[in-house]
Amino acid sequence: MSRRRLGRLVHGALLGLVALYSVFPIYFITVQSLKTAEEDVFGSPLYVLRPTFENYTELFRGAEARVRGFVIVPRVPFLIWLANSALVLGLAVALTLAAAVAAGYALGRLRPPGWRWWRRALFATYVVPHTILFIPLYQVILALGLDDSHGALVLVYSTMALPFCVWLLSAYYHHLPREIEDSAVVEGASRATAFLRVVLPMSRNVLIAAGLFTVGTVGNDFMLASIFLLTPEKQTVAAGLGVMDVSLEELLAVAGVNLAAVPVALACAVLARRYVEGVTAAMLEGA
Amino acid sequence: MPASMRPGRRREVLVAHALLAPALLLVLGVLAYPVAWEAWISLTSFAARAERPAFVGLANYRAMLADPFFWRALATTVVYFAATTAAKLALGLAMALLLARPARGRALVFLAVFLPWAYPGGVTVVAWYWMLNPPLITSYSVPVGNLKHAVDGLLGGGAYAFASVMLFNIWRGASFTAVFLLAGLNAIPTELFEYARLEERSAWRRFRHVTVPLLRPFLALAVFLSFTGAFADLANVWMLTGGRIVFPVIGTYAYWLGVRSGDLAAAAAWSLSLVPLLALALVVLFRWFDPPREEPA
Repeated sequence: MSRRRLGRLVHGALLGLVALYSVFPIYFITVQSLKTAEEDVFGSPLYVLRPTFENYTELFRGAEARVRGFVIVPRVPFLIWLANSALVLGLAVALTLAAAVAAGYALGRLRPPGWRWWRRALFATYVVPHTILFIPLYQVILALGLDDSHGALVLVYSTMALPFCVWLLSAYYHHLPREIEDSAVVEGASRATAFLRVVLPMSRNVLIAAGLFTVGTVGNDFMLASIFLLTPEKQTVAAGLGVMDVSLEELLAVAGVNLAAVPVALACAVLARRYVEGVTAAMLEGA
Repeated sequence: MPASMRPGRRREVLVAHALLAPALLLVLGVLAYPVAWEAWISLTSFAARAERPAFVGLANYRAMLADPFFWRALATTVVYFAATTAAKLALGLAMALLLARPARGRALVFLAVFLPWAYPGGVTVVAWYWMLNPPLITSYSVPVGNLKHAVDGLLGGGAYAFASVMLFNIWRGASFTAVFLLAGLNAIPTELFEYARLEERSAWRRFRHVTVPLLRPFLALAVFLSFTGAFADLANVWMLTGGRIVFPVIGTYAYWLGVRSGDLAAAAAWSLSLVPLLALALVVLFRWFDPPREEPA
């Protein structure tokens, strides 16, 4: 019995350690962003005694450059950047999911000749190194007339997560019993209706998994964002704060990106369990 | 065999192609030209300052292969990919196994594990940057600075920066791997584990002969996604540190060649040099996560 209790104790301790390790960098940077300049220099890096929200409120001051102490606080159109980020992210996820559902259903259920190779070919695009690809990519953007427009980012972002999303959805539709939609068709529904009313709601969790994967992949980028969007008012949060007027050594940048991350993190927290269920459902063999 | 085709099948195939079109158009439309451009440029003398680029055949590749620096960079890159992937797999698998067992507060720990990957990389890369390379005036600059000099002194200049890139990539990637493998563990029927418990007493051998083979498709996918993630993080860190990473990695050096010295032809050759290696990895891994199997009727 006591060995069992010891096992439980060790398990609990390890879980605690894992949680600490996972959260620590985010906790750390949040602590720094709440510090006054004085505490930043003389305080402890691990906690903050007199928190100030100055770095956060500063973000919403708008377009007026201000002087704080001896420092000129750079002006940032933060709310506009926030809206831009939401717009680009939302559209990219929507486009990715729409294309992935269609392709996933085609490859997983309808299985045209060579479907396995289509799927592999899509996945193989991950082999392409993105290092200097942005130069010819920019030519494509120019040719499409999307220079300095959010459309460019939406388009490029949509290709980043798509191969994996297609993989996930096609695996799911591959395993989904055919009888489910067949019975709807027998009852008089068209194939499209059967898909929209029966199959699509069933794949909700897989869609959530694909969507979160897209958010995680796309939310990581600011290199492309800082290259394709030139006008300050068109920047996304990460690109704007990371590369433009603000130096990374400023807590303002930290506060800004942190604030922008909160809604994303919250959404992920709410959907995390469904994400796991979705991946499980997609990869379940022979269900 | 058109004779044995069901009457509705022709239409079904047509619909399938139509549904496939948007995804293919998107991926190929965006990537086809850039990849072709890069491949073509790598065969010319194209450079920012060159007056008239000429076709030079494989000269860029020959120059690259003759460069001892290339082989050092390749070795560093392979080490970077191998070390981060091994760490992500080990940590991810450990965390997934910990989370798969029932315990109090497991749901909260699960959310914590999900966080590094869910939190936008733009933020967390700044967090790691502040933690490991603090600005001059913060209270912990001195100890961290000492650590940096100790590491650099031991392993050579730039080692610390390189290690911090690896740590960041492992932290973020292990979180994804853990959640992904947890989903994989959930996909294994519990009866299988119970049966294995009766058959095999040693927990290690159960893990080795039951859990790992059943997780194999998930592990293979995780390995490949770890490669792509390692690549993406490299680009981010490069941008963030303004090219202060002096350890030569193929990706960052190609960027340096192309953007800083304008030698785009060489940069293209350098960045394409990784394609055969990644393609080979993909072909091997396809056998594990997409095995050709008999179709059930």
